[in-house]
Amino acid sequence: MKLKYLVGFLIVMGAIAYLAFGGLGNSLVYYVLPSEYAENPARYEGKRIRLGGLVKEGTVRYDPKSLDLRFVVTDGVVDIPVEHKGTPPELFKDNQGVVVEGRFDGEVFRGENLLIKHSETYQAPPEGGYTPEEVRKLIEEAK
Amino acid sequence: MTPGMLGQLGLMLAVFFSVAGLVSVVAAWVLRDARYVRVARRAALLAFLGTLVAFGALEWALLTDDFSILYTARNHTTASPTWVKFATLWAALEGSILLWALLQTLYTWLAGLRMRDYWTSPVALGTLFAVQLFFLVNVLFVINPFTPVPNPPADGPGPNPLLQNHWMMAVHPILMYLGFVGLSVPFAHAIAAMVTRRYQTWVSETKWWLIFAWGFLTAAIFAGGWWSYEVLGWGGYWAWDPVENASFIPWLLATAFVHTAMVQERRSLFRSWNFALVTLAFAATVFGTFLTRSGVIESVHAFAGGPVGPIFLGFLLVILTTGFALLGRVSSEVRDAGSVRLWSREGLLLLGALVFVVMAFVVILGTLFPLLVEAFSGDKVSVGAPFFNQLFVPLGYAMLALMALGPVLPWRRAEPETLRALAAMAVALVLGTGVGLALGWTLWVSLTAGLFLFNLVALAWLVASPIARKARVLGGVRTGVGALAWSRRRYGGYLVHFAVALTALAIAFSQSYRLDVQKTLEIGESWQVAGRTITVHALRAVEESHRYSVIADVEVSGLGLLHPRLNYYRTSRTPFASPAVAYTLGKDYYLVLQAFDQKDSEWVTLRLVVTPLVLWLWASAVLMVLGTAMILWPSTRRVQVGRTPEVEA
Repeated sequence: MKLKYLVGFLIVMGAIAYLAFGGLGNSLVYYVLPSEYAENPARYEGKRIRLGGLVKEGTVRYDPKSLDLRFVVTDGVVDIPVEHKGTPPELFKDNQGVVVEGRFDGEVFRGENLLIKHSETYQAPPEGGYTPEEVRKLIEEAK
Repeated sequence: MTPGMLGQLGLMLAVFFSVAGLVSVVAAWVLRDARYVRVARRAALLAFLGTLVAFGALEWALLTDDFSILYTARNHTTASPTWVKFATLWAALEGSILLWALLQTLYTWLAGLRMRDYWTSPVALGTLFAVQLFFLVNVLFVINPFTPVPNPPADGPGPNPLLQNHWMMAVHPILMYLGFVGLSVPFAHAIAAMVTRRYQTWVSETKWWLIFAWGFLTAAIFAGGWWSYEVLGWGGYWAWDPVENASFIPWLLATAFVHTAMVQERRSLFRSWNFALVTLAFAATVFGTFLTRSGVIESVHAFAGGPVGPIFLGFLLVILTTGFALLGRVSSEVRDAGSVRLWSREGLLLLGALVFVVMAFVVILGTLFPLLVEAFSGDKVSVGAPFFNQLFVPLGYAMLALMALGPVLPWRRAEPETLRALAAMAVALVLGTGVGLALGWTLWVSLTAGLFLFNLVALAWLVASPIARKARVLGGVRTGVGALAWSRRRYGGYLVHFAVALTALAIAFSQSYRLDVQKTLEIGESWQVAGRTITVHALRAVEESHRYSVIADVEVSGLGLLHPRLNYYRTSRTPFASPAVAYTLGKDYYLVLQAFDQKDSEWVTLRLVVTPLVLWLWASAVLMVLGTAMILWPSTRRVQVGRTPEVEA
């Protein structure tokens, strides 16, 4: 009697675990810096990822008529061109920390969702630019 | 006397009387003397009054712009309108825990008044005192909002602008805490039941509190969704954000418990399971606070970290250890009075409860998974909505099917007379799904529509068959309808079930058929979209004491003028978009002012989100609260019996 319930319970839990972990594998969104991507581009091929970095100085092009937004995300080592459709957030400026959710399409990253990581106190970048570690820290600490 | 001093005094009194209450119940238990329980009840009232004084002192400081204490100096500004000043009390960590403590002391006092049992009340009351002491000690010693500030500033930064953007933020946290705190009463009674080895009656004694808490949790979750829809400007109501999940987990576990508690009350089954479930549900309320207040998980509305994280984690472990250690000690003697047949009401109620527990497990897994991955592999990942949706769709169908079948089946075993009802329900299911597919809806939406009809037929049968039976016996339909009055609680339950089915329908449609477009328009220009004409008439600016707003006057054909706006708060460099929504019975038209021409005011960029059936989501929330109120309303049965004794016969 008890055994019957136990077996039933195990089957149900097994099915859930299978569904959950199988599902997790496909719906995990990795968080990557440009230099991490450059190390192993094949790993992120066609996958939905979150690309973090700084908006490279002087690269922002936005056309309010067509809503086309182009800019370059950098972590001080590797630059990645990003294309996004939609209005840039108010704080979208040079050297601002951003996280772009989207996919790689060849060399270009197509953003679907743009998140600004802004700290309320703006700091000028150090001489010689940031290192990837500093960029990561900057983005993680910002709210 | 300053607000700061008064607040400290109130907190100290509250801690003192909580300790006194705890000592009294220990005395009542050890000396087996019920008089000490009466002393403890008085201590509970005094502890509540002490906390109320502290609460009042903090409001006093906020409303009179007194910046000499930490809380106001950090979270308040003189520029806030009065209602924002009042609600600033729960806009940050210290104040919100003070509010929690206030509600906990109130519940302890009220629950204590209703405790009658000589054996269990010392333990139950003692558990509640221990819980409230945890919160009070935290507020007094760890995150004291009344800490004096050496050099009081003339003005502070004010609360988070997102919280000032909508009046719902003044209401939502109170609803949520009323729900969270409410679960402590069934938990305390469960502890008492395990200590005193009376395993049956605690469920019926705490049923009222459980459903009360459930109603507030439900209202709070919907209120939060509505706030998110009206304020955050992304056109959705649920994002599987960790804070949303933190409120959803206790709701799921409490829902499971509501159903199995019913079985224990009626059939004396699932006793061990109910002890475990109530412990988990109460622990989940603390788990949620730990997650969102500790900085472990980053989220839109997570408050700044601090020492609270580890403290709440410790409290969570104490709750779980206490609950499960006691259950382990007595589990060999907790026996059910009989066994369960799957194809009966209790069998399906158990299955339904399992579905809710699995849902809770899925939410916990999805919320914590990023932490696990980072701990083991160092990768930073996030678990997106697809994961939750993928699992909640099948679980949701199981829930919809079970919630219709359960009430239709009788207790103990299925009877032949229910077969006709089941056949009608099956026809409705097939018909609804078929019509949906014929109309070109997706399979998932069609199936939801079919299950909605399945529920509707079940409810119709549940309402009609007792009336018909009465009418047959007593003659006349009117007497049959009179039967409605005395089983109001049952009909409250049916109303909640109907509302849940309606929620499922609204979610299925709004998630599946959504239009989300952006366009830049010149002032005066029109835009043909989604069968409407959208015209931008003007762009203007409005100055208020606490903010500066840019407002677009946009006409949506057939729906009138809408005013999406961007609000600029002094303390924030980012503007906050306040969307404008035109609700209709079919579709919502949701406009966001994304950007505007800052030089010449010649153009605006608008985002339009058209979502079907969202209004029904909010309507079903109102129905759920109404249904819960029907269940909770004090019974007027005795009066009814006096007037029409034949109904009872």
